[in-house]
Amino acid sequence: MNAAVAQFIASYSNIIDLCLLNSLIAYGLFLALSANMFSLATGGFMALGAYSSVYLTMELGLPFAPAVLAGAICGAAAAALIGAPVLRLRGDYFMLATFGFTEVVRVIALNWDSFTGGALGIVSIPRYTQTWHLVLALIVMVYVVHTLRGSYFGRAIAAIKQDDVVAQTMGVNVFAYRLSLFVASGFICGMAGAFAAHLNYFIGPGDFGLVRSVDALTYPILGGVNALAGPVVGAVFTTILPEALRFSNQLREILMGALVVAVVLYLPDGALSVLKLRRRSGKSGSGKVATATPRTKQ
Amino acid sequence: MKYVALSACVALAVASITPAAAADEQIKVGIVQATSGGSAALYGTMGKNAALLAIDEINGSGMLGASKLVPIYEDDAGDRGQAVNIFQRLIFQEKVSVIFGPTLATSAFAADPIAQKAQVLVIANSNTAPGITAMGDFIFRTSPPEAGVFPGVLRYAKKKFNLKTAAQIYGIDDTLMKTAYGVHKKALEDEGIKIVDTETFQKGDVDYSAQLTKIKGANPDAIVIGGLAEESANIVRQARQLGIPQSVPIMGAVASISTKMAELGGAAAEGYLVGSTWYMSYDAARNKSFVEAYRKRYNSDPDSFAAQGYTAVYAFADAVKRAGGVGDVKKLRDAVAATKNLDSPMGPFSFDTDREPVIDPKVLAVKDGKFTPVTNE
Amino acid sequence: MSVFLQQVVNGISLGSTYAVFAMGCTLIFGVLNIVNMAQGAFFMGGAYFGLEAARLGLPAPLALLVALVGGGVLGVLAELVIFRTLRVRGGHRWMGLVASLALARMMVGIAQEIFGTQVQRYPASTLLDTAWDIDGVRIQLLQIVILVVSIVLMALLALTLQRSSTGRAIRTVAYSEDVARIVGVPVGRTILTTFFLAGGLAGAAGMLLGNLFNVVSPFMGEQMLVKGLTVIILGGLGNVPGAVAGGFLLGLVEVFSVAYVSSSFRDAIGFGLIFLILLVKPTGLFSRFEERRA
Repeated sequence: MNAAVAQFIASYSNIIDLCLLNSLIAYGLFLALSANMFSLATGGFMALGAYSSVYLTMELGLPFAPAVLAGAICGAAAAALIGAPVLRLRGDYFMLATFGFTEVVRVIALNWDSFTGGALGIVSIPRYTQTWHLVLALIVMVYVVHTLRGSYFGRAIAAIKQDDVVAQTMGVNVFAYRLSLFVASGFICGMAGAFAAHLNYFIGPGDFGLVRSVDALTYPILGGVNALAGPVVGAVFTTILPEALRFSNQLREILMGALVVAVVLYLPDGALSVLKLRRRSGKSGSGKVATATPRTKQ
Repeated sequence: MKYVALSACVALAVASITPAAAADEQIKVGIVQATSGGSAALYGTMGKNAALLAIDEINGSGMLGASKLVPIYEDDAGDRGQAVNIFQRLIFQEKVSVIFGPTLATSAFAADPIAQKAQVLVIANSNTAPGITAMGDFIFRTSPPEAGVFPGVLRYAKKKFNLKTAAQIYGIDDTLMKTAYGVHKKALEDEGIKIVDTETFQKGDVDYSAQLTKIKGANPDAIVIGGLAEESANIVRQARQLGIPQSVPIMGAVASISTKMAELGGAAAEGYLVGSTWYMSYDAARNKSFVEAYRKRYNSDPDSFAAQGYTAVYAFADAVKRAGGVGDVKKLRDAVAATKNLDSPMGPFSFDTDREPVIDPKVLAVKDGKFTPVTNE
Repeated sequence: MSVFLQQVVNGISLGSTYAVFAMGCTLIFGVLNIVNMAQGAFFMGGAYFGLEAARLGLPAPLALLVALVGGGVLGVLAELVIFRTLRVRGGHRWMGLVASLALARMMVGIAQEIFGTQVQRYPASTLLDTAWDIDGVRIQLLQIVILVVSIVLMALLALTLQRSSTGRAIRTVAYSEDVARIVGVPVGRTILTTFFLAGGLAGAAGMLLGNLFNVVSPFMGEQMLVKGLTVIILGGLGNVPGAVAGGFLLGLVEVFSVAYVSSSFRDAIGFGLIFLILLVKPTGLFSRFEERRA
């Protein structure tokens, strides 16, 4: 029995780690989305966290924990720096501007050979990331988000999400709240980048591009942006899906696309809206208001 | 060192007498290639097709007696995380004896250490980045590093065209091409050729006219491209369209050798110089049978990645035969390492002490739409 | 001087394909207020429709028509299967983005199944091989043809939007779906027409670019989508003349950043420029025109 469990863990440990890591990233995006920030800066933040932490552990010989913290702070600092100008932009312009940031970081990583190794990347990175690190980070994350949602801060954010103009007139400092959420998102993505870098022996600029950023956004949206567990559900679903579809190598891409389309079409408020439908509670109204207003928001 | 390998061979030959009788087994082999998810699929498909072809041939011919190779093919979509997932599952659950692949060097850097730690053989057919086989004594490759072939091409071109200056253009976001660029640069410097301009492009680019106009302005004696087949074909074509004359020779990277290169390049590709370990019309019985079998099965032409993937499987099967099965991992590894003058589509094939391929490099030029060895001119 | 002029020619011919593609993107945004991430897949689909038509021996103008109609049909299918369902069910507007991304992924997979992963090219013809040398500047017949075709397509779109009853319906729906309903515009059919036009423009752009740069592959739409999004941000979301100007601008900026800065930083310069423009004008360079839309 024990042998079977050990074999299972050996065979699937990386999938478990990736699920945890992606869940962590998903919460970073969850925070951004909770104030209507459709951010594609994930790849850029992760790259900063990854390269800076690897520099600290490999070049300066620092222990892992401070390196992860430094990676997270790099992500947060970048968010604070680009946040001020970018947050002035409306929805889709914001999306493109954050994507621009990710691209600029990637191009710099490609050209700065002495620090990043360019396209050749950095190889033989020690594998410091343990599964329990990720579990711990995720638990802390969920606890913090849960606490925030019940606080004044959380209610202010909910007000911004529904209508930022009204929130502003009610005395909520919309810019400050958005900026703090964006910085928190940068912090989490930077930390995830540091974990990711010390997980698979290698990093390269290609790991942190558009695909990474778009995938990260997909997790909380698929899982549901109104439920606390939404990001985890979305991240686990998207990470396991390619593995679950391995029986059909050729049609995998097509099937994955079709499955995601099906989820979106039949569960338009995210996978977790299944639970809501069943509960039929009045609370689901909060999602409805948000969906009824997008045209006027633009 | 050669002596050691040889004596290991002899020792193995003696040792293999006993276990050979018990070799009635299903040998699981993993194939990890990217056949979806971006440009990696272009050459991952070649490696996968060729490996499956070789496995069926080996099983059909009874080369391994009653033993059969059972392929388990997985698509990593060129994604590093997926490559690691697959390696873990193939190694710990399927318990494969060898993994052919992965397609990309970036995937190899993440996934190969797992195989090395678990003492499972990896034979790559398309990783040409430096440091792949340095990851451990279970990691082999049949793909020659660029440094093994390009200097020969350059020496030939320098002599024939009396080169004094050259311009370089390469794919900056591709591990393979960044590596090729470094090798090209060093070779140019070693030959005392002045590099007058260096340009880059990225995956997915289709318009190279801005870079080529700049190169044209610098007026080099030759152009060296670090690009894949489709990219190189387009660069060559656009260079000629912009009026860079045929008298300026264009040299390319090993990875650009493909039937696609000549086909996509059309008339502009004439005279394109490249070094390789393999070309379609290579005159050897083993190659003819390979090309014919590949065409028959897949209705398309193989390329050098296919030849290398095919050779990887045969090198493994040959070692299994010499080691008398896959039961003794150490013995199997030593048998693969001792591969010497194996009859392959690329000619006699061996592994050196660093588990790198040893094959005669050939200088080829496109002539009438085909890669032809220059010595035949 | 001839190098400079050559780069101008390069930039304009690159920009013309960007402009045609971006018109489709911006049209959908203007009418539906969504960014359609499957637009790149329509572009790729159009290139294959055109390629198959050309291989059947159809003359180039007819092949272009096939590419246009083919891309348009893909657009209509996307609207019927995905966007209409989403609107009816009242999903969050982000869902449209996720769904269109997934659709693009599916279409790339299907293209790989049908056509294989390898790059293909259009059959050789005199159109592809004719070029002139004017004072050291190389101009291909194809570049001129494509510029003309682009301008014709742009003019046709402008004419349709401004003069025809369909165009008026599209502009009404863009102004407000509710208003359109009140004044009796068939909203569903108008949106369908919009998707046909946008898909058609993407398909036509696919064939133009496939010819110009000799490349047709399942993955060709991905990079183009990024360019298209960049252009419509530059030009102002939903602004058709802005998309045309933005297309040419981006083409020229890319070429000149290679020419006078460094090819390694081309994309960073493009995005840096957009960043700066957005800082100064948060709704795009040509946002003055945008007021016409809403």
